Amino acid sequence: MSSDDEALSRRVFVHRLAFFGGGSVVLGSGCEDKPKPLAPKPSQPERRAPLTTKHQTLTDEEFAVLVAAVDTVLPKDEDVGGVEAGVPEYVDHILTTPQLEKLKNDFIPGLLALDRRCTRLHQVHFADATPAQRAEVLTVFKDSPEKSGEAKWYELLIVLSLEGFLGDPSYGGNKGEAGWKVVGFDLAGRGTEGAPKPGYDGITTLKGLTCGTGRGC
Amino acid sequence: MAKPAVDVCIIGSGAGGAPLAYELGKAGFKVVVLEKGPWYRQEDFVHDEILNSRRNFFMPLPWNEPHLWRAGPDKPFARTNDGWTANCVGGGTVHMSGYFYRLKPVDFRLKSELGAVKGANVADWPIRYEDLAPYYDKAEALLGVSGRAVPHKFQEPRSKDFPFPPLAEHPVSQAIDQACAGLGWQALPTARGILTANHEGRRACTYCTLCGSYGCETGAKASTLAALIPKAVASGNVEVRPKCMATQVTSGTDGLAKSVLYLDQDGATQEQPAKIIVVSCTAIESARLLLNSTSSRFPSGLGNHNGLLGQNLLFSSFGQSKATFRVSRQAKQHAWLTTKAPFVNRSVQEFYVMPDGRFGFRKGGTLGFMWAHPNPIFAAVGLAKKGADGVFGKALKDKLRDYRDSRILEFETYGEFLPTDDTRVTVDSKVKDSYGLPVAAITIKRHPVDLVMTKFLVERGEEILQALGPESVTRVGTAGETAILQGGTCRFGKDEGQSVLNEHCQSHSVKNLYVVDGSFMPSSGGVPITLTIAANSFRVADHLVARLKKHGK
Repeated sequence: MSSDDEALSRRVFVHRLAFFGGGSVVLGSGCEDKPKPLAPKPSQPERRAPLTTKHQTLTDEEFAVLVAAVDTVLPKDEDVGGVEAGVPEYVDHILTTPQLEKLKNDFIPGLLALDRRCTRLHQVHFADATPAQRAEVLTVFKDSPEKSGEAKWYELLIVLSLEGFLGDPSYGGNKGEAGWKVVGFDLAGRGTEGAPKPGYDGITTLKGLTCGTGRGC
Repeated sequence: MAKPAVDVCIIGSGAGGAPLAYELGKAGFKVVVLEKGPWYRQEDFVHDEILNSRRNFFMPLPWNEPHLWRAGPDKPFARTNDGWTANCVGGGTVHMSGYFYRLKPVDFRLKSELGAVKGANVADWPIRYEDLAPYYDKAEALLGVSGRAVPHKFQEPRSKDFPFPPLAEHPVSQAIDQACAGLGWQALPTARGILTANHEGRRACTYCTLCGSYGCETGAKASTLAALIPKAVASGNVEVRPKCMATQVTSGTDGLAKSVLYLDQDGATQEQPAKIIVVSCTAIESARLLLNSTSSRFPSGLGNHNGLLGQNLLFSSFGQSKATFRVSRQAKQHAWLTTKAPFVNRSVQEFYVMPDGRFGFRKGGTLGFMWAHPNPIFAAVGLAKKGADGVFGKALKDKLRDYRDSRILEFETYGEFLPTDDTRVTVDSKVKDSYGLPVAAITIKRHPVDLVMTKFLVERGEEILQALGPESVTRVGTAGETAILQGGTCRFGKDEGQSVLNEHCQSHSVKNLYVVDGSFMPSSGGVPITLTIAANSFRVADHLVARLKKHGK
């Protein structure tokens, strides 16, 4: 299956994701002079509605797709689901950090691509689709060729969802440590000096890290 | 405008650089240490997996500072952040697990004792175990190593037991002892660079469980950040400059190294002249810095008189398997399953050297046993997988619940890694990092004997895991390399034509240039090498102090 979305098929996206996937991703030649430009081409229509004040990164439309996607990845069952645990808020918030500045420009078009694919397949927006319809569309992304934008975006969705579900609650997800209860992370190390202190804020700490020359990530 | 000249400028503050800074400062010599990363305080080490393990707290972002990596010279390079260790004051010793093994006498004489291996550049070391043994003692005492020496068939000679008593062990350790005994083998206690008693302002381990890949919030871990840098600075002779990225080692008309050019934390170029310049940035990054330090006199890199700089890169041969135990179904059978103590601390070295070549190799290595790392995001991303194997929805939640009911005991191998002509570091002038410097390009062509050996070790490890009665054993792989354990790119030796450094880790061709990370090692050994790097640095420090006292330069 070929990618239907140019924003998703850029090779530069692939090597960024390698960092979060934890492994190396073959790029073909590693000797490219520079990565291709990150921003959408000016000729591309601007699809995004203006930001609302409700979210830090996403528009309402994008956020609705994200909520539906998180609910598909981590549904509520006998244990807490991703939406209840605050995963969409985590993703919206973490995308403001400088480390994810470039990935953000890949992640957001992916949300819209997911919605378009759902509309084409099922004539309904992803946020309004049934769980079975959503799972079918997400499976298309998951099973796309390994190096395709769709497959890489799926991987990023999984990684960000699990970070939100199982990361320190100060980032906005893992509310009430609900995700940790699901996996039995017994709060190892809490109560020791390494435990985040009251008022600790991971996002602020991330924003204070040095990146390369100090001129931003 | 150059800074005032000092006696010694050391680039890097990890296991190699810090012991030198400590000894030279104590001896009264003026030292500047340039460290590309920040200077973290103990309170910066927070149990936050996203910050600590998934962003650029320790490792640079690959789109800022990539390494290029390829599996053989005929393959394309891929960008990766593999091959970095922590970028901070203390370097890799800050986020290490602290498995502090010594090499064994055979590791210094691999070629003489076991013979050449076709297709591998095996070489004896120019020093022997006995030359390094007193410095192992010193490194263990100054860094703070806990353990329990027991006699075994490959035990290296020791003058005394470890300076600190061993850490409390999980009861599975005794089960491993019994399983090994049943197979006719001996399980050994693993020494750790972790304090078991308060010592010189550092506090004993609190068994927090988030150890490897994290910085230690009590200073118990034997990082140079906790153990050596404060004392070095307190001498009044050592200045550590964090967030300073060395870009070039310059040389003068006399053919000697003259200064280090670096970018300070504001991105401004600075020059630090010194009588002696020591490079200690990891085997990959030290090779890169010297290869990038070209001049009309040294067109292929400083100290690269014979083209060997960057060649013979070494890692540790990595293989791993995991045994899964189910608490709900097996707790009656294995009472220890409900105990949460973090340390297993068992090693098997039965196959360190094979008596003959009947299994396809002579030099083997070590199996180290441990509980799987408790980082939950890392575990969950591994469970979710991707592509055709990927799961989401209820299937993913079920896997997360299964994980909650599981205890995962694993081993990894620290196997000999044979140096080959096609395993090396070069620089790629077409790919530059965010400092504008050509990046390190790593080519790895594994020697087939390594893969036979690692598979053999993994199979023996699996026999031990199976003897413990788990629900399942899963093989992770038998053909990997542990990229945080690096050596070899500036191998030392007596023959100028066959090595980059002499036995003092001094450049053969640039007499005031030294390299003291793992680069000097002509062979990898069958154990993690952090303690060896530190011990060797203490050894080189004695040489440098004597040199400076005698000649003043």
